[in-house]
Amino acid sequence: MTNALDILTLRAGYGAINVLWDVSLSVETGKTTVIVGPNGAGKTTLLRAIMGLVPATSGDVRVDGQSRKAVKTWDRVADGLVMIPEGRMIFPDMTVEDNLMMGAFPPGCRRDWKRNKAMVMDMFPRLAERRGQIAGTLSGGEAQMLAIGRGLMEQPRVCLIDEPSLGLAPVVVDEIFRILARLRAEGLTILLVEQNTSRALKIADHVYLMQSGKVVLSERGDRVDLDRLHALYFAHETAA
Amino acid sequence: MSNSLMNRILLAVALAVAYVGVPLVFGGNAYVLGLIVAALTIAGVAVAWALLGNLGGMVSFGHAAFFGVGSYTSAVLAMKLGVPVFAAMLLGGLGAAVSSIAMLPALRLRGPYFALAILAYAHIFQILATEMTPITGGAGGLLSIPRFPTVLGFDFGDKTGGYLIVLTIVVLAALAYDAIRRSTWGLALKAMHDTEVATRVVGVPSTHLKAAMLVLSAFITGVVGAFNAHFISFLDPDYAFSSGWTVLPIAAAIFGGYRTVWGPVVGALAIYLVDQLLFKPILPHGHQMILGVLLCAMILFSPGGLMPALSRRPVKENRHAHA
Repeated sequence: MTNALDILTLRAGYGAINVLWDVSLSVETGKTTVIVGPNGAGKTTLLRAIMGLVPATSGDVRVDGQSRKAVKTWDRVADGLVMIPEGRMIFPDMTVEDNLMMGAFPPGCRRDWKRNKAMVMDMFPRLAERRGQIAGTLSGGEAQMLAIGRGLMEQPRVCLIDEPSLGLAPVVVDEIFRILARLRAEGLTILLVEQNTSRALKIADHVYLMQSGKVVLSERGDRVDLDRLHALYFAHETAA
Repeated sequence: MSNSLMNRILLAVALAVAYVGVPLVFGGNAYVLGLIVAALTIAGVAVAWALLGNLGGMVSFGHAAFFGVGSYTSAVLAMKLGVPVFAAMLLGGLGAAVSSIAMLPALRLRGPYFALAILAYAHIFQILATEMTPITGGAGGLLSIPRFPTVLGFDFGDKTGGYLIVLTIVVLAALAYDAIRRSTWGLALKAMHDTEVATRVVGVPSTHLKAAMLVLSAFITGVVGAFNAHFISFLDPDYAFSSGWTVLPIAAAIFGGYRTVWGPVVGALAIYLVDQLLFKPILPHGHQMILGVLLCAMILFSPGGLMPALSRRPVKENRHAHA
């Protein structure tokens, strides 16, 4: 069975500054793959490169075995490769409902947008309560829920989620991870970037550790030893 | 709901006055009607400019290029190839739209960089019109450009006919603008101003949408330019590509409220007609100064322009409350 997503010796960066150094990793269909790593490891850059927001200088991005390197971001989205960006990258001047409608922008998603909206509202009752509210006035947790809901409106086949717990209160983090566990149980293919390692490991089928733009550890989720991971995590020098 | 119903009634009344009232009242006054046509010509470019500025998020200093290309394309097609004037006018718009495609690389630029690039671009077309003498007549310009024909017994070649044509162009442009703004595309364009990256992430082909707004804006401006060429029946490069075709529409759009659909139209009528009918008789030389002061005052007291100021508080007496 082909993987939902394969990253092959990917190099990418911003202009003269290269961030990713030959990163290779795979995301199995229907599984949750977690990338952990300290700040500046290149996790977000990797997600952006997968989406085509940052150009890849070499290597390849394959979805279901097919190269997507030359495909525009919006066509990757229409293909089911969906990114839920970190923090508050929602549309602050629009209502909650319009934000969700924007999620259904790809032509293939517009047909079912009402049904998907009902599904999102059911998953996040708080968004249903605030459907007419301007998104910029939402709390951090609500904004994160909206970002996830908007991503789900895009009918993802592979969902890239960037640090959903960033800057949120513990009780809200609980709620976010409950939702992620539910999505995982429903069989959604997820690539999750997270700094909250202990939480992320609980829902991980496979774990990668990134450091300084490289993958330094790849292990099945149930075999990861948190202490060893943290020892690697905080090491300044890596044996990669 | 009742608000939008009221807006519809207002629009219907305004259209009735424009299509029936104005020709009846001013039909015999060629001077005033000529001024109104000139104001509507500016209004058409102002709507096109505001569409690009508001929906596309791009400030253009180069609309004179589209105006000039549209007017020359239409005039040359009608004069040298005998294309019927109405068809030539639409082809003029098409010519301007095609010319805007050469501008697409500039869409990567933002803010002042885009504005400067498009300003330089406008100049290139003025030089082309001056140098391509066999086609454009060079610096001497084109004389006796065919006027609008008589259709079904109605003479579109006179002042009233020209008025009805330019009015229709402006109304159609504003209605198209409004339709786009209300559509899913309009929502996506609005979202682009906040965060373009986020719109790409939700699958919006943002570059394509911006390009579409540039091409549409160029098309409308080109049609207006073509109309003007056949209406006044004369062109030369300095006139057709004059920076006035950029500056006056910008002033009109900002004065009227460039984030509203009808603001640019109201703004163009207000500043041009007030300037010509009120200030010019008082101050024959330098009457534009009063206009400049008025424009500054508008930006200070109601940055959103005339339309938002009117709809916010119909009574003007408490305008200092804002300052």
